[in-house]
Amino acid sequence: MNHYLELLSILILLSSFILAAAKRIISYIWIFRLQSFLLVIMAGYLGAVNFRKEGDIDILIICMVILVVKVIYIPRLLENTFAKVAYKVEKDFFLNIPISVLICCGLVMLSYFSIFPIDDLREGVMKTYLVNSISVILIGLFFMISRKKAIGQIIGFLVIENGLFIAALLSAHSMPILVDLGIFVDVLAGVMIMGVLVFRINENFESININKLRNLRG
Amino acid sequence: MQNVLYIPVQLAVMLLLAPLVNGIIKKIKAVSQKRKGPPVLQLYYDFYKLMKKGTVVSETSSWIFRAAPYIYFTAILTAALFVPVTTVLAPFSVTGDMILAVYLLALARFFMALAGLDTGSTFGGMGSSREMMISALLEPSLLVSLFIVGLIAGSTSLYEIMKFSVLSGITILQPVYFLIFLALWIVLIAETARIPVDDPSTHLELTMVHEAMLLEYSGRQLVLMELGAALKQLIFITLLANVFIPTDIFVQGRGFLVTVILSLGFYFVKVVGIACVTAVIEINTVKLRLFSVPNLAALSFAFAFLGFVQYFVIGR
Amino acid sequence: MEFAVIILPLLGALLCLLTRNRRLLHVVNGFVAGLFLLASLYMTFRIIDTGTLTSPVLASLFYLDPLSVITLDTIAIVNFMVSLYSVGYLEEELKHHIITGGMIRIFYVLTSTFVFTMVLVVTTQNLGVMWVAIEATTLASVFLVGFYNNKHAVEAAWKYVMICSVGIAFALLGIILLYFSSLQVLPGPESNLNWNFLLENARQMQGSMLKLAFIFVLVGFGTKVGLVPLHTWLPDAHSQAPSPISALLSGVLLNSAMYGIIRVLAIVNKNLGGSLYTGRLLMGIGLLSIGAAALFIYSQKDYKRLLAYSSIEHMGIIAFGLGLFTPAAVFGAVFHMVNHAFTKSMLFLASGNVYLKYQSREIAGIKGVLKILPTSGTAFLLGLFAIAGLPPFSIFASELSIMAAAFEARHPFAGGFFIILIALVFATMAPALLQIFFGDAPQGSIRPGELNFTGTAVIVILLVMISVSGLYMPVEIKTLFESAGAIIRGGE
Repeated sequence: MNHYLELLSILILLSSFILAAAKRIISYIWIFRLQSFLLVIMAGYLGAVNFRKEGDIDILIICMVILVVKVIYIPRLLENTFAKVAYKVEKDFFLNIPISVLICCGLVMLSYFSIFPIDDLREGVMKTYLVNSISVILIGLFFMISRKKAIGQIIGFLVIENGLFIAALLSAHSMPILVDLGIFVDVLAGVMIMGVLVFRINENFESININKLRNLRG
Repeated sequence: MQNVLYIPVQLAVMLLLAPLVNGIIKKIKAVSQKRKGPPVLQLYYDFYKLMKKGTVVSETSSWIFRAAPYIYFTAILTAALFVPVTTVLAPFSVTGDMILAVYLLALARFFMALAGLDTGSTFGGMGSSREMMISALLEPSLLVSLFIVGLIAGSTSLYEIMKFSVLSGITILQPVYFLIFLALWIVLIAETARIPVDDPSTHLELTMVHEAMLLEYSGRQLVLMELGAALKQLIFITLLANVFIPTDIFVQGRGFLVTVILSLGFYFVKVVGIACVTAVIEINTVKLRLFSVPNLAALSFAFAFLGFVQYFVIGR
Repeated sequence: MEFAVIILPLLGALLCLLTRNRRLLHVVNGFVAGLFLLASLYMTFRIIDTGTLTSPVLASLFYLDPLSVITLDTIAIVNFMVSLYSVGYLEEELKHHIITGGMIRIFYVLTSTFVFTMVLVVTTQNLGVMWVAIEATTLASVFLVGFYNNKHAVEAAWKYVMICSVGIAFALLGIILLYFSSLQVLPGPESNLNWNFLLENARQMQGSMLKLAFIFVLVGFGTKVGLVPLHTWLPDAHSQAPSPISALLSGVLLNSAMYGIIRVLAIVNKNLGGSLYTGRLLMGIGLLSIGAAALFIYSQKDYKRLLAYSSIEHMGIIAFGLGLFTPAAVFGAVFHMVNHAFTKSMLFLASGNVYLKYQSREIAGIKGVLKILPTSGTAFLLGLFAIAGLPPFSIFASELSIMAAAFEARHPFAGGFFIILIALVFATMAPALLQIFFGDAPQGSIRPGELNFTGTAVIVILLVMISVSGLYMPVEIKTLFESAGAIIRGGE
């Protein structure tokens, strides 16, 4: 059982690496969709195991919610937003891709060393889970600060959320369902608000390049 | 008995199978483009035809140009001896043969690049410099990957590594192996001059890498070069097939000859499978700009590196 | 009855959504804010009687103790003042065609929702729900920050939502780690995320895990609090938002986020015992915030941004007090939270009046405020003295108690440094801002006289509050603060 979870957590980590190497906004959205789908599989698997053992369907409900919100709705929303804003083809990243990927490797090491001192975890494999999920979070953060376009930043935020969710799912078999649903409402509302703001940025600046947001300083 | 049989079986399988892999990939690509395509065995016909033809050698070239095909082919063939097609037969073994194999391949590449430069044609020079750049980019991830599987198996012999894999089940399902599998697959694509790194079917001067170095060759020398390249591709495929998807566990406990034949049968299926997947990747991607190749190499290295981290996290 | 405090702001939002008439809208909003204030005062009296309060329904979620009720009261009072102030402010802006009539309704709906989310933060004991609520405070206030929808406002809103959402994600990671380590101690019960449960079992949890969790929570909620170096959104958001919103953001939003840090701090410190781990982190980051704020204040050209940086400074002071973690320091920190809330919201409201009059945020373009705006200008000046920590105002009292605690707890260097930095802030703030008060009023269209009468009244009320509470504090309230301090220190 642990094998599959481990493999899935690594696949999710890999997908964030591929995201860090992606160059186009459409491919960001696709990779995010793929990552969320992997998350759905993971939640579905854990949920099924939990259902058989204890008969509670909390994780399965969460799994359905992720499927609807993160695999179907949010990517759609982002694609629609992207289709409507002015887009100029230009380099979207500050660092070139090999450097970005190597920095992501460094981030994995960082999370490894932050988890490493914690001794006495109940299962040894827990360390792997935590390392992988914290790496996903850090890579999401890095992705966010390395891209110039507003939509790229939203994707970074969503990847961070995915990483948090994996951490919760794998370490504690997800948070209490009330909290989880609250988090989803927040994420959904957050992405909608960010989408609206992207429109407003586009209106005011005639571009969705965040580099132009430099009026307020000091 | 096992040792005696190993070398002829290994050489025969490798030499006979290598052109077939190319044939399969070409056929799949052709079918996907709604063409009929050349027959699967076309490369064998080509070799037969070329063997009968004379060779033309440029006047301005030195001995390197003439010696390169032989060195290239022998180096790769020697390397092929270290990558067993089946673990049922025990090969002769040298300490560190994994590293030796990698450097034999590097030697072959070195001479190919020299030969490309030797004729003084612009295309050859371009191909050589590009080839060296790509190989330099991918060398780290190849070595790191091989070292990690070596560390896990506790040996630098590819035969021992494969044996270890056989004992530990379908290794690709283990996270570490999975990551290294991906890393090596990217290396395979780059080293065998496939899309998205290089397009084997083009002779457009702006894009070609591998083909550019072979432009001046003809006749028997061309056969050696082409066959060497095909062999190199098969070496990588064998590596993937036997280390990551070991099947020899299923054939144990039967008579010796049956075991060998079954094992080779499984091997054949795996090779064809990997060839098919490679072809599908080739169909679905476009060639990268040469300056984007580092991105791919970085990803490959990242995968290998991740495998390394995973191994040490779990290893505790 | 217990839930009245939670339901009233939500009700206010709904009523405002349904009301079409502009005048009625002002009345409805002010009325609901008043009711909400009464409800939370009623809760305070009950807490003074009983100590803690929970509800038979949803016992695992709803929970009030002195600490939360203090924060709740701050929210209620500032909210009431702001709603009174907004009437005049919005009408004035409407007259100048800066906003439209429809935007007033949106303003009230969003403000009530914003207050509702903050109330949710302080009335729940489930840390997960608390996180959800803190994230919701960001989402509810984004469009308030970007209310004017011009280049600057949109930029501020974008930075605000991105930086805060991402920062806060790290706090969620910290809470997940907390939950995970509490599951390792006691798997099973549903209350594993409840603050009381975690505090009771704090000693059995794993120290190293809690340390990591605390760092993440500090980074996460610290972003929302505006601690340096995670403060970058704060001056932008505070300066671009309409002044009533700046008052809410600075006065109570920062406190709600700080409240989140305090709750986790209590658990972690109980586990670590006498270790200085969290103390060093908090004191360091607190001093850094004060120092960085001093530098930014010095070079500031925009008086609202200047006030925003001063908020960063005061959050740094609170973090410093929490880091010391002695009874006197914790008392000082909680007291300071309240004092800062009142003083700073008064300052932002007064600066709103200045802005209405001069239509400029540039310090250089403003002169003679005392002549043009006799009442709110004077209040503004006195408020600046208060925020800089001069006696007799209440901020002086709380700063003094933190300062004394630093030396009492044998941190002479940290304490000395603290004093130097506070003096530095005072020294940089005075020359930067004093010039706007004096001198002759510019010739032309600006005529002397107050514009926003309810607003000016509110400012005066707040000024009286901060002056009186610096001099005299009723015993009951003092006990309330002390018991809040005791709760933070793990019931000792």
